Amino acid sequence: MFNADEDAGSNGKRILWMSLCGFGIIMLLGAITGFLSAHMEEGSGPLNLAGYAILAAFICVTLALAFAIWRLFRQMKRSDQKVPQREKIYNRFLIGSFIFGGVTGLILALTGSFDETEAGLISNDAMSPMLAIILSVALGVIVPAITFYWHKNLVDEQEEAAYRFGALIAMYAFWFIAPVWWFLWRGGILPAIDGIALYFITIFVALIVWFWKKYL
Amino acid sequence: MKNQLKVLRAMRNWSQADLGEHLDVSRQAVNAIETGKYDPSLPLAFKISRLFDLPIEQIFDDEFEGGNDV
Repeated sequence: MFNADEDAGSNGKRILWMSLCGFGIIMLLGAITGFLSAHMEEGSGPLNLAGYAILAAFICVTLALAFAIWRLFRQMKRSDQKVPQREKIYNRFLIGSFIFGGVTGLILALTGSFDETEAGLISNDAMSPMLAIILSVALGVIVPAITFYWHKNLVDEQEEAAYRFGALIAMYAFWFIAPVWWFLWRGGILPAIDGIALYFITIFVALIVWFWKKYL
Repeated sequence: MKNQLKVLRAMRNWSQADLGEHLDVSRQAVNAIETGKYDPSLPLAFKISRLFDLPIEQIFDDEFEGGNDV
């Protein structure tokens, strides 16, 4: 019984490591794509031995990270053999959202839904009107509806408190970062305030604090 | 806030998941309450009190030792 409890208590660390590994995989996939694109643009034919070695190293680390995620997920599943019903639905919802987000991101990246000049979703570059409408509807209608359901039915009071504290700290972060950035811009030290960058900083702060209060 | 939740749970041979199921909260919530990282709301404290059939002050200890501070 108590071993299972320890597992339950340390799931937060597992989720943290899984997220870091996932982030690492995204970075490495980007690096592999960039490496191959650069090579193709050079037009220097097939890869030489050093090229293959670099590619193999990237792929090995990516696979190692994927394996680590799988191992951590297995450990979590073992500790999840008996979980409260609310948490079970919560976990399914969370995994579903991750898979949906990942698959959508992958489809957008693979189908080349961005203009050639674009670095990706997180940039200020132009995007096709259709993609802009799809993303706006997703973030303006679908995600709020899911979020409402999430908070109404799946979140318990401890997590609600974690969300509240995260939102409070994020609000303070916004209050202080925005004017500091503005002053530094006026002083010619930083570029002009980027609203989307501020948005992501705020979200990131809320996410970190929520995670800390919920799991650690 | 210190509490007897872990002891009471162990007396019934319940896991954190079992207690979470009874209280309709996650295992993280049970874990956070047991370790004193999160203080439950009054409704949840009453629910815990009813579940273990004990008064709230026998489960939770606010470590107040004074007499009349009202």
